[in-house]
Amino acid sequence: MTLARPLTVMDVYDRAKTGPKVEEKDWDFKIIPQTAMKLKKKYGIKMDKHKIIPEDEALCKNLFKAGLELLATCGVYCIDTHRVIKYTEEEILASVTAAPKTAQFGEPGVNGRTIACRKHDDKRPPIIQGGPTGAPCSEDLFLKIHQSYAQEPIVDTIVDGVMQTIKGKDPTPGTPWEIAAVKAEAKAVREAQMRAGRCGMGL
Amino acid sequence: MRTTDSHEVSQLNELKIDVSALAFDAHYVLSGDMIMCEQMPIFGGYAGGLEETTIVDVATTLNSFVMMQATWHLDGPTHVRWGNTTSRETLAIAGHACMAIESELDLMMGNQYYTTAGPCTVMCLLETAAQAITDTCSGREVLSGVAASKGVATNYTTGLEARFMGECAYAVAGMETAKVNELLDKLISLYEKDYKQAPVGKPFEGCYDTTTLLPTQEYLDVYDEAVKIMTDLGLDYWTKKKSRVDA
Repeated sequence: MTLARPLTVMDVYDRAKTGPKVEEKDWDFKIIPQTAMKLKKKYGIKMDKHKIIPEDEALCKNLFKAGLELLATCGVYCIDTHRVIKYTEEEILASVTAAPKTAQFGEPGVNGRTIACRKHDDKRPPIIQGGPTGAPCSEDLFLKIHQSYAQEPIVDTIVDGVMQTIKGKDPTPGTPWEIAAVKAEAKAVREAQMRAGRCGMGL
Repeated sequence: MRTTDSHEVSQLNELKIDVSALAFDAHYVLSGDMIMCEQMPIFGGYAGGLEETTIVDVATTLNSFVMMQATWHLDGPTHVRWGNTTSRETLAIAGHACMAIESELDLMMGNQYYTTAGPCTVMCLLETAAQAITDTCSGREVLSGVAASKGVATNYTTGLEARFMGECAYAVAGMETAKVNELLDKLISLYEKDYKQAPVGKPFEGCYDTTTLLPTQEYLDVYDEAVKIMTDLGLDYWTKKKSRVDA
């Protein structure tokens, strides 16, 4: 038996062209809800919404098993090819085990940050990624809004908003104006970081 | 963009993908970029109820690392009716999904913030606090926000919301889970009855002086009011911070 290896995005694309054909409405309204419901019953999962964080280790482990089985049973639906990308459980586990445990946000130095796996009771705080998180920002205030985030010492890195216009034009997806807007966003965030004295900060 | 900036690619609801996402993910992978794969499962959507959506959230999180070779996964369970990530149900989904992954694996995971209320309101800050506490005490590595006013109103977002998100995270890091749950139950009950009448708040230009980029006194007073509520709920972060400044 060959040991499974982590998948690549190329493998995934190849499977998107060859996997089983499924109607999208069947995926949305039958396959996903019915399999999730079946797995909830199989693993006896019951959540108490007054306990936002589970205190029962068996519940956590059963949720993990159910999620893993959902992914291995159903796979992922490609809306362009109308086919299902299938993985084996061994491939899923090989891929998640190979995932990075640490990474660098921004440049090494005073404004860069190292992200590393933490536990629920870890005394180390998480990375604070401040920003509009995809919320719309007007072209004229875009830079200032992001500077208001970058100037907060507790903010480690920036997540940007969406520039509503570029040179007054609507950045419609799939058009040159979309590319212009995205490039302008990245440059403006970098400028906001520099004006806040946070050169080297990640975005 | 540097390779050390987060390069975003998104999955679709639920457990779906399009070819163009795979194509630009291939560009990220072959460039050696840090990859952040996003997906926001919908509570009350295709998956259904609380447990089913949590199971889908676990599967989706795993898929970021299988399909996209992600460096980290950005979550964001969203309430189908309220459009926020700060409801009791969506916080429970995020908290349970993260703890489920933590029980078996070490993966880097974040969560994004969509509050119902707008900036310069106590409700917006309390919603932010509840999610920051949930994320920090369920083991997430990244807190990403805040898109106030559900992330749909232009310029309804400011740096002070992120300050509060960060301070609440620092205030609870390392806290025992039973105590966290008690705190969250009280905190969420302070705002969850107000979704229908959530205060709109003010846009950026009403919250900050747009020349000096300093918050208005009105917003600082709102911030202090939220700090007082969190302190009354038992967090001593701000009291300790003040003592350090005074010393």
